[in-house]
Amino acid sequence: MTFSREITDQIAKFAREQSRFYLEDAEMTYLEKLRRKSGQTRDKIKAKLAKFKSRSDTAVEAENDMILYMSDYMKDLIAEGYSEQEAFERAKQELAFRSDTAKSSDLRKRFEDYYRDLNPADYEAAGLFYAGFLFIGVAIGGIAGYLAGGGRTMFLSGGWVDTLIGTAAGGILGIGCGLIGNAVITLTRKR
Amino acid sequence: MLEGIVLEIISRGEIYGYEIARKLHAMGFEGLAEATVYALLLRLERNRLVHVTKRPSELGPPRKFYTLNEKGLEELAAFWARWDFLSSRIQMLRNQGGHDA
Repeated sequence: MTFSREITDQIAKFAREQSRFYLEDAEMTYLEKLRRKSGQTRDKIKAKLAKFKSRSDTAVEAENDMILYMSDYMKDLIAEGYSEQEAFERAKQELAFRSDTAKSSDLRKRFEDYYRDLNPADYEAAGLFYAGFLFIGVAIGGIAGYLAGGGRTMFLSGGWVDTLIGTAAGGILGIGCGLIGNAVITLTRKR
Repeated sequence: MLEGIVLEIISRGEIYGYEIARKLHAMGFEGLAEATVYALLLRLERNRLVHVTKRPSELGPPRKFYTLNEKGLEELAAFWARWDFLSSRIQMLRNQGGHDA
């Protein structure tokens, strides 16, 4: 029995996505033993292996194993009466990686790192930057609009529109400067 | 425990991945997730407990056939030793409440 071209491609895509999680999971057990022996941290070894893994024969083998395993399972399902697409969906559901160890632990670690490094003073500084630049921008824009509009006499006879436009432009300029201030804080914090 | 069962199945003769899953289903382990056997085989291979022979398959990629190597046989013997100990103690607990006869 052979599958349609579309399903074959979908199987290959699924196997490529999922097999690396299983491989990583299988390797972690081995890595933990290695870590005990060498004293290296798990993350360092994992990072080194990740570079190697993406193009290693082992990764290709794990992918091929999953393609065959999935295809065999789908054949059984089709023999039970499933359509090709239904069999693929069921196999996908059954073979999707669910362990916490590889996929979500990375995400959790990133969250942990983020909250560990979180400094309330940074947020306070960013807020003050926004407010400060906004006030400065509004003041400069207002004055510029007022003066460009022709001063007090013109302000009272319709020139207030120029003042209003200047104020709005100054406010936008202030927010822009606040964003730049926020970017500077973020970059400084990363270093 | 599943690792021991799969090692025992492999010890009975050369076998490929999904065939192991089929055997487990036939033995009554129907609730076993399909992914479990795939993940277990990867681990057995990474821990060098099996010997792998690749043969061409009709689906394209070569199919892997597994047999136990020396380390795998040792692991299987250790599994059965653990199992015998555990089952005898559980039986003892059931029959005599954990006291020697």
